[in-house]
Amino acid sequence: MPWKTANYRNVNENPCNMCMPMGGILPFKGIEEAMVIIHGSQGCSTYMRRHIAEHFNEPIDVGSSSLNEKGTIYGGAQNLFQALDNIRKVYNPRLIGILTSCLAETIGEDVEGMARDYLKKQGLDNFPLVGVSTPGYGGTHSEGYWLALKKTVAGLARPTEKHGGINVIVPNLSPADIREIKRILEIMDVKYTLLPDISETLDRPIARPYTKIPPGGTRVEAIRCMPGAVATIQFGITVEDNISPGHYLQSEFGVPLYNLPVPMGVESTDMFVGLLAEITGGSVPGVLKLERGRLLDCMVDSHKYNAQGRGAVFGDPELVCAVVRTCAENGLYPAVVATGSGNSGLKEILGPVLVECGQDVCYLNEADFMRVRTSCRENGVNMAIGHSDGKFLTESEGIPLVRMGFPIHDRVGGQRLLSVGYTGTTNFLDRVTNSLLEHKYKNYRATMYREFYREAGK
Amino acid sequence: MAINEKMIEEILNKYPAKVKRNRKKHIVIRDSAQENQEIEANTRTIPGVVTNRGCAFAGCKGVVLGPLKDMVHIVHGPVGCGYYSWLTRRNKARAEDPEKNFLAYCVSTDMQESDIVFGGEKKLTRMIDEVVEILKPNAITISATCPVGLIGDDIQAVARAARAKHGVNITAYSCEGYKGVSQSAGHHIANNGLMEKIIGEGDLEEPPSKYTINILGEYNIGGDSWEVERVLNDIGYEVQVVMTGNGSYEKLKNAHVAQLNLVQCHRSINYIADMLETKYGTPWLKVNFIGIRATIESLRNMALYFGDEALIKRTEEVIERELAEIEPQLEPYKKICSGKTAFCFVGGSRGHHYQGLYEELGITTVLAGYEFAHRDDYEGRDVLPNLKTDADSKNIPDLHVTPDEGRYRLKIPVERMEELKKIIPLNDYKGMINEMVDGSIVVDDLNHYETDEFIKVLKPDLFSSGIKDKYIPQKMGVPTKQLHNYDYSGPYAGFRGAINFARDVAMGFSTPTWNFIVPPWKHNPLLEGSIEQCSDDTCVKEVGA
Repeated sequence: MPWKTANYRNVNENPCNMCMPMGGILPFKGIEEAMVIIHGSQGCSTYMRRHIAEHFNEPIDVGSSSLNEKGTIYGGAQNLFQALDNIRKVYNPRLIGILTSCLAETIGEDVEGMARDYLKKQGLDNFPLVGVSTPGYGGTHSEGYWLALKKTVAGLARPTEKHGGINVIVPNLSPADIREIKRILEIMDVKYTLLPDISETLDRPIARPYTKIPPGGTRVEAIRCMPGAVATIQFGITVEDNISPGHYLQSEFGVPLYNLPVPMGVESTDMFVGLLAEITGGSVPGVLKLERGRLLDCMVDSHKYNAQGRGAVFGDPELVCAVVRTCAENGLYPAVVATGSGNSGLKEILGPVLVECGQDVCYLNEADFMRVRTSCRENGVNMAIGHSDGKFLTESEGIPLVRMGFPIHDRVGGQRLLSVGYTGTTNFLDRVTNSLLEHKYKNYRATMYREFYREAGK
Repeated sequence: MAINEKMIEEILNKYPAKVKRNRKKHIVIRDSAQENQEIEANTRTIPGVVTNRGCAFAGCKGVVLGPLKDMVHIVHGPVGCGYYSWLTRRNKARAEDPEKNFLAYCVSTDMQESDIVFGGEKKLTRMIDEVVEILKPNAITISATCPVGLIGDDIQAVARAARAKHGVNITAYSCEGYKGVSQSAGHHIANNGLMEKIIGEGDLEEPPSKYTINILGEYNIGGDSWEVERVLNDIGYEVQVVMTGNGSYEKLKNAHVAQLNLVQCHRSINYIADMLETKYGTPWLKVNFIGIRATIESLRNMALYFGDEALIKRTEEVIERELAEIEPQLEPYKKICSGKTAFCFVGGSRGHHYQGLYEELGITTVLAGYEFAHRDDYEGRDVLPNLKTDADSKNIPDLHVTPDEGRYRLKIPVERMEELKKIIPLNDYKGMINEMVDGSIVVDDLNHYETDEFIKVLKPDLFSSGIKDKYIPQKMGVPTKQLHNYDYSGPYAGFRGAINFARDVAMGFSTPTWNFIVPPWKHNPLLEGSIEQCSDDTCVKEVGA
């Protein structure tokens, strides 16, 4: 392979991930009446707004402290304070998140200290101002997402009387997925705080009048009360403890943590539903049993097609795990499992799941698409599942791509993709199966010709 | 609805006093009775106003360098900036040599924390080696993101060394995001680099044909440049290079041979246009290929410049033929669009250019503005001598070029040049404000809050801007047209482009979608009744009761 040079990681060709502050924006978009500012050059917030807007098809307001050359010498506190003043005046938010960029971090800005100074200067004792240090070189958007969540919880949570509710902490899933998780919680009669809740804010109905901050999101007061929950369910088996909000609530406030896989696929959804029943002492409602039955029926119908797929799965570590487990349940075994994140736990987590698939699995972390592509070619992959940037696998290798995760910028409806719970899994498997079938029919004659036709006499 | 100072005042009252004073200077109500209406532009963005502006890196790598197809554009920095500028402007390219089109590649040094601490020069050097070995591009650019300048990586030295080692043109651009006040700084930095290190590298001494031109400031978004070139080639022009849409190193290095430079986007490229004149004696002509009338005028001005009877005749023939093709197609769209109003807020030239096309469709532009333009783009180049250089523009080095001894040629005699200047915009641009109708509003650096408020006051029928702001009006029930990436449509330039544009805009008005926003129960009450003399009891009778 011409791509394999001795010291590969000098060049990142077609990255499989974005930078830390990008991931940090998303949780703040799922908190009620919250705003977020990036402390750094204004290009950071402009680029990220552009990408998030294109995925969700929603306005994404992110402020910037618009640092310039002067700020790099004298520090950016003045710019940041002015940005906070203006955001408060125009948007009147109930919480503001401040993320840092490469620039702010390289010149050594202490964002948490600056947030404290601002509150003191303004005489705002109780205003939740959450500073998160997210240098672009510090990790991928996945780490930025979790760190912003953890800092939010750490900044807001306070000792609370037990209130009997459950904390549900979710990774970067689609608004449709969040709605499904909430529906399951509601039909099981669970009192919950789900964080972050982008189900309404980033999939906003057309409704009048237009408000600058979309309605919905986790209430600030509910986040403050998370320590009073009887348990935390966090869909974050790949999340390291130092950036895990669930782990924080457990170690600081003794809230028992159940770290579960994303409830996708039969087994993982069973775990989630079963755990809810156990915690609440309730039973699994009939409607969920019906949905489970339908999912199994879907799997029985489609397993024969799925078995012909050799998959490449890439994206955020948490979602990669969920997709791999779901596919493997129905006999579609992944040959390539990749993430742009430095998270090295994939093999450990997925190894036992894939032990019976009877084929080698290539695990790539810190992957770029050149590496993914080479591995796909070497491993005979015929199906890719991940975000839009995998489109080059289709263009250059002819491998169909089932779009899933973030970002999806070359198709509409990324925000409406439903893939969790029994019903979501059914939808997801149908999307995968149909892509396999479409690919098969599209290439049927060519394949037959290639495999069976011989010129007379040869 | 006509707007007045008082309404603007009310909108700005939401800001803190200092911000209000600042923003007020960026908003002008057009009044042709006043001579030289001034607007503040190209000044620092106010922190926290949710601007649509980008940064120097975006202007340099994203806009100017990015479209050059046979080069690999390395982003030296953490991975984000490379990712975000990866094919996001829809600048299309078709490669002469299919092995040498690298536009689909995003190549980044993906700096990690250790690189920030210990420096990234070695990594960059090794990366260039790999890029040369693996991809074999015709040339390489290196663009810096924020941390690079701060940690002191000398990318210019790395580029020089690599160039000596590989014998490939490798140029570095110190376009860290914090430089200047917007992406405009990046255009300037990119222009300097191309001028200094690439243009003139080629060994062509004579123009390949009688009418050889360059098109500057055309980025081939949605294939615009191809539509323009179709017509130009048909008339008999030879396009040496387009800067930079569908452009290439191979063509660019011989840009010095052109007899005329056309300037489409004045903001992003006037630096190079001026420098090319100083160095090679090539005048530039401000053109506008957006809109039918503007296209015709540009074509006629070009023919006048060359002053050749056969060329003038051929120009008229082509115009006539093109008009015959498109005019019947345009009629139905005009009927749909006529009488409508629009906002037109784009980067640095389209905010002006599209107004003419709107007018031809019967649409009045009631608000227009630029994200990152300078005063000369609003008020015309006459204002240039009055512009003060501030600290931010001083940070971008001005390149001082001198006439090239071997290659400087006067393209036309001085006297003729002076005559022509009186009738065609040679080396001149009159700006946007001049062409706007009285009572319309000009807003520099429009932000999310103001977008929202101006829509409420002016209630436009169409909002045209980019992806970051288009969802606000859509949520408010106003159709939009993206003028940055054309909503994945296009081309919109030239004659046939005008039809595409008319079709796309008319579709926004005529789709039934908007009619469903107000549900039927708001139009027709579910209850019918009348007010009667009644006590506290209900006096509303249900339908059919």
